[in-house]
Amino acid sequence: MSARTDNDLVARVVAANDTAAYGELIRRHQSQVRNFLRKLTRDPAQADDLAQDCFLHAWEKMSAYSARGSFIGWLLRIAYTTFLQSKRRSHRYAEVLQSAGQVADLESGSYTRDTEEVSDLERLLAVLTDEERAIFVMSYACGLSHREIGESMQMPVGTVKSVIFRGKDKIRTRFEIEDHQHG
Amino acid sequence: MKSKIINMAEKIKDADDRLLEAMLRSEPIIDDGFSDQVIRRIRRRIWVRRLALPVAVVIGGVFAAKPAVQLLTVVSQLSVLIPREFVVMSTTWLPSFPSALLGAMLLAAIMLGLRMIEDE
Repeated sequence: MSARTDNDLVARVVAANDTAAYGELIRRHQSQVRNFLRKLTRDPAQADDLAQDCFLHAWEKMSAYSARGSFIGWLLRIAYTTFLQSKRRSHRYAEVLQSAGQVADLESGSYTRDTEEVSDLERLLAVLTDEERAIFVMSYACGLSHREIGESMQMPVGTVKSVIFRGKDKIRTRFEIEDHQHG
Repeated sequence: MKSKIINMAEKIKDADDRLLEAMLRSEPIIDDGFSDQVIRRIRRRIWVRRLALPVAVVIGGVFAAKPAVQLLTVVSQLSVLIPREFVVMSTTWLPSFPSALLGAMLLAAIMLGLRMIEDE
């Protein structure tokens, strides 16, 4: 089963509702999908719940997968939509941000380039919009190419590039302000 | 050629790109029963859908039983209008109501069984 390509497994799922083939697809991609959602939600438990919903939605929509783009790109698109739907429903994401006090930290916290660097950058990612953050995570954490991200987010490659450029600019500006404020 | 240039441009990473990559990179998450959990939910969903129609038919049948009996009673009263020879002839080749019900239930059970075998 593991020697088969994603598209072979998808074909089995579509043709025969093969849950074993789908199980293999989940095993292959669960890590990336869960990591992607963890970066978006910053809550591992919520991210895992959303990942389950994402794989359930993907099962339902499997016949709509065109196999033109990569399967992981398609999955991440569903994961992103699931995340947005969940956010709209509960506004839980805003509560998490508020309870973590990330915005306040950005204003008052100190920035040091040491072991806290990762969490600092993740805080800085909070200044990005959902779409920008999703594209950043797809690009830098999941290693998707700009073309794959474009297919996944249903936008031209040029737009993906400009979103990344704009996001980097925002982060750079924030870093510079932090550095300037704290010498 | 154009796509090669685009790919090359994409591969050229500046310091910010490398920093972002290093910061956002994370360890692979161990499956730890996650995929089995999703598959169990999918199988449960398939079963719920599979049972939904037969259960709906049974519930509908329960609700429809009384009006159906009344309708049959009325129809049977109308049967006096039908020529006697025709009624006698039809009872010989039409199955009785219990036989028809049993047959329908058997057919439904066989179809359900075949679908289960097909999905396993």
